[in-house]
Amino acid sequence: MDTTLQPELQGHFETAQGRIAAATSPEELRAVDRDYLDKGGVVAGLLAAIPTLPPEERRGAGQGANQLKTAVLGAIDQRKSELEADAIQAARSGKGFDPTLPGTPMRRGSLHPVTRVTRELEDIFSSMGYGILDGPEVEIDAFNFERLNIPSDHPARDMHDTFWCKVDGAERDSDMGLLLRTHTSCVQVRAMEKLKPPFRVVVPGRVFRQESVDASHEHTFHQMEGLVVGEGLTVGHLIGTMKTFLREVFQKEIEVRLRPGYFPFVEPGFELDARCPFCETVGAGCKVCKQTSWVELCPCGMVHPSVLKLSGIDTEKYTGFAFGLGLSRLVMLRYEIDDIRHLMGGDTRFLGQF
Amino acid sequence: MFISYSWLKRHVDLTGVSPHDLARDLTLQTAEVEGVEPFAPALAEVVVGHVLSRDAHPDADKLGITQVNVGADEPLQIVCGAPNVGPGQLVAVAVVGTKLPAADGTTFKIKKSKIRGVESIGMICSERELGLGDEHDGIWVLPFAPEDNQEMIGKPVAEALGATEGQYDWIIEIDNKSLTHRPDLWGHRGIAGEVAAILGRDLKPIVTELPAHGSADTVPVKVESKGCSRYLGIAIDGLQNGKSPEWMRHLLLATGQRPIDLLVDISNFVMLDLAQPNHLFDRSELSADGILVRDAKDGEAMTTLDGEERTLTTADMLITSGGQAVALAGIMGGEASKVKEGTTQMLLELATFAPTQIRLTSQRLALRTDSSARFEKHLDPTLPMKAAAHLVSLLAELQPGISLPSAPSEDGDWSDPACEVAVRPDRVRAVLGLTAELLPNQRMEEMLTRLGFGVKDADRATWTVQVPSARSTKDVGLEEDLIEEVGRSYRYDNIPEQRVMAEIAPVARDARRSLVRSIQDRLSGASAFDEVMTHSFVDVDLCERLGVAGEPTVRAINPVAEGYERIRRSVVPNLLGLVASNLKQQPSTYLYEVGKGYLPERAHGEFEEPLEVHEAALVIARAGNASTEVAHFVCSCLFELKGVVEDLLYATESARPGRGGLPGLVWASPDEDMVLAAYAHPGRCMVARAADAKGKATGPVLAFVSAIEPGVGAALGLTGDSAAEVAFATVSIDDLIAAEQKPILHRPIPRFPGVKVDVAFALGEATTAAEAEQIIHQSGKGLVADIELFDLYQGEKVGAGQKSMAWHVLLQSDTKTLGDKDLHKFLKRVENGATRIGGELRKD
Repeated sequence: MDTTLQPELQGHFETAQGRIAAATSPEELRAVDRDYLDKGGVVAGLLAAIPTLPPEERRGAGQGANQLKTAVLGAIDQRKSELEADAIQAARSGKGFDPTLPGTPMRRGSLHPVTRVTRELEDIFSSMGYGILDGPEVEIDAFNFERLNIPSDHPARDMHDTFWCKVDGAERDSDMGLLLRTHTSCVQVRAMEKLKPPFRVVVPGRVFRQESVDASHEHTFHQMEGLVVGEGLTVGHLIGTMKTFLREVFQKEIEVRLRPGYFPFVEPGFELDARCPFCETVGAGCKVCKQTSWVELCPCGMVHPSVLKLSGIDTEKYTGFAFGLGLSRLVMLRYEIDDIRHLMGGDTRFLGQF
Repeated sequence: MFISYSWLKRHVDLTGVSPHDLARDLTLQTAEVEGVEPFAPALAEVVVGHVLSRDAHPDADKLGITQVNVGADEPLQIVCGAPNVGPGQLVAVAVVGTKLPAADGTTFKIKKSKIRGVESIGMICSERELGLGDEHDGIWVLPFAPEDNQEMIGKPVAEALGATEGQYDWIIEIDNKSLTHRPDLWGHRGIAGEVAAILGRDLKPIVTELPAHGSADTVPVKVESKGCSRYLGIAIDGLQNGKSPEWMRHLLLATGQRPIDLLVDISNFVMLDLAQPNHLFDRSELSADGILVRDAKDGEAMTTLDGEERTLTTADMLITSGGQAVALAGIMGGEASKVKEGTTQMLLELATFAPTQIRLTSQRLALRTDSSARFEKHLDPTLPMKAAAHLVSLLAELQPGISLPSAPSEDGDWSDPACEVAVRPDRVRAVLGLTAELLPNQRMEEMLTRLGFGVKDADRATWTVQVPSARSTKDVGLEEDLIEEVGRSYRYDNIPEQRVMAEIAPVARDARRSLVRSIQDRLSGASAFDEVMTHSFVDVDLCERLGVAGEPTVRAINPVAEGYERIRRSVVPNLLGLVASNLKQQPSTYLYEVGKGYLPERAHGEFEEPLEVHEAALVIARAGNASTEVAHFVCSCLFELKGVVEDLLYATESARPGRGGLPGLVWASPDEDMVLAAYAHPGRCMVARAADAKGKATGPVLAFVSAIEPGVGAALGLTGDSAAEVAFATVSIDDLIAAEQKPILHRPIPRFPGVKVDVAFALGEATTAAEAEQIIHQSGKGLVADIELFDLYQGEKVGAGQKSMAWHVLLQSDTKTLGDKDLHKFLKRVENGATRIGGELRKD
């Protein structure tokens, strides 16, 4: 390209380049764009002046103006990319960022600790093929006592501290037919009414004993009953089941011991003690087991033949075992709750912890 | 029950078996031992001292200065005030530094001291100071002659008396509950029998037959009462009451009995030994007619030995003589027949009473005694004669002068309960889970024999096991009972663990439990409620505040506290009862409980069992004055709760919205015939029912959402500074299970973009949102894909009795992109529709 305009073009380019290099924002670049490349800008002016030039100059001037346009555009784009890269770089610095500012507040709900442990146990037993049953809390004498081999003159009734009920407006008033169930064992009878052996069920639920409330006693607490009826079931199966269950709950091998215990609806009947799972962490002088190193966990036994017979089950063909887990007690052990009154207390400062 | 280790030694050799070993063995094989404690542990602290001399104290008449050899180089000088201390005695000495029990349960330490100017180094102890009873008139003189027992001097007294593990005696406490079914274990002999079987040692024999008697006339005995199956009366002559021997007093003390005198003590001793309660009457106080056992008359009064006058009913049983009550049968003797001083002629009563009758009388009179506790357990009717023989032989050892003037007199309709039970050794092993290698027949037979059972036909597949009366009473009568005997002898602990093998089959699904779980998950999770559990009882005070005290309920006859007898009809009241206390801690509270209520008016079944209703109850409460939904309709507790319930029903899949924004639920005011709880706000409540395909309500009420009745807020103390806005809801689990589930079915994602338009109506204040929305839906002719109310206004700008409502509406078609023409047509229809409900489409 050969034109006398060359110095002028060069001057324009250098001026533009200076402004582009100095630009620190897209707005400044747009101003350069406007001044040089828009209608009425420098390049347009140059092009408009071409007809006034001598003919031999015109071609060179046209090319020169176009080259100027391309060069300015290129310089703007390049500077724009630089500015964008700078902006990202700047944004990455995180200067002044405070990671300790609080997150957007969310209300948080809670599941009752008894629900938590109940679910855990239900899941363990479900995985072993147990069904889960429910039964009424206002129960009839027949299911709570009679059908469990505890007739009306049985001294075991005394140990149950039963809440006897009457019903407003009912004709039969206080003939002791209705009560608040003293154990979930009554659902054993309901299960045997409903299911044909073989079957395996657990029954979680609230039970009631007429006693005053203090840190370790509640008149309302939770149990989980288990009942398995089938052919060839033995004490060995009961032991195996309880050990498996404890391994699952505590996620470690738990030593257990069985000792005789008396419950009219099982024969033989046992108390199952577990080697205190807390002594290990707490050390000697553990409050949970009162330094005996054994924790009384659950009464259990082979279902009494009278109970099976009363439900029409052939005792020669079938045997069964039953156990009654103290859910409230497990909850207290699990969460180190030292006052049972919290469980039914409804204080959200307690509930909100779960 | 307290068992004395030394007492057990009277019945079985315990050589090499420590009290703690015994406790462990009994726990694992017989009954739970709750603790093992030393008896009179002070005896291990004090030492045997030999009183060498006693001189008068120069400044105190009643004090003496003794020199006591305690085995040290020099005798100790001890100032002692006891009148009976004298040279030559062996005594219990607490040397300086010894700790002794104080009356208040603490201990005190013996120090060197000066008594009236004379130095005293130690203390000579009385029985009371050592925990051996009340005796404090003088020091305890040990029952040993010093000349034969020089080696004892300086040793701990416990050791001199024959200590086990350093202690004079040990008290083993057995959990009474674990003996409920074992009447035979309510005495030391029974426990000793278990110990003998465990150790494989023999029980020492005791006398079981009465000595020869004279030929005087027998004391007449007659039983009229059905509650007495055996009454045995034994006349004893030549008695001299006095203090019982030291060994007996100590054994009684160890088992928690206060020694009184020989007659009382020996009666207690035999009860604690053989488990047979018995009573000694002063024969001179009895009528010549002898004894009549009869039921009490209604209102009949008698004074028992404790000095209390008791009013009786025909359900109680009396021992009478000449028309006068001399004992409340099986429970306590009568004041009238108390043994008088100088009496030498006694009548020993041993009887068998009906357990239930004794239990009920003892409960009604709140009079539980060692005797009633045993009769309640059902005693062996052969025991009275054995106990009589035992008591008479013990007495004869202590008082050789006694005699039986006449033959025993007896009445009652009893029979020996000894029985035979067929036992199949294979069945025993099958139930226990043991093989013949682990438990051979021979070992099984040996176990049963050791426990006192007889085994016949041991060479056959079915054995005949003879059950003695002591075990057949109330306990052993079935093969399973003997399986227990074998199992515990084998020790359950030794039975190998087995896995239950079963067919793999799906467990029946429990719709109720899955529903409850999904409700809990939704509420505790996304809805951020706290799950509570409250009592099934509702306090009368709360019922009154809520205005429901008059509603019929199931009631506990024997509540834990007065006013706490009502069993809840609904879970809501107890949740409302928690609002005020929780709002003291936080500005708002979100609670729910899934639980059961009981409706007596809908009783059913043979026993008129109340109808059980299963529900989820929810409460939202916020401190501050109530906001209204007009100003902030989305912020009121009531509508926040409505949203939660709606979401909950959606999550449980009972109320999924259908195609085209049709409601899955229909909300409305409750029907006029629906009975509202008194705490519900009659003007601000609503019910939800499922919608049918056309959007009409169908089926039962699934949920009820309400503000609390205005007066109830004040009754709950939510006024003034504690003012709060409260809304509650119930969701019926029973009806949700029954309701048709709307399963999730995939719909195609819209292919064409929708058009968003805002629609605002000016409406009469009585026109509902549902009515207006129905107009919008109808106007859309199936194109309304979504609709959302975003504004509600009542006030000056719209004029009195009017309101303005505005919705975002999304129109969308499955077949085309909607254009201005479609939108225009829609708005035209909406405009016409608005006039049909007395409103107008706002165009400003």
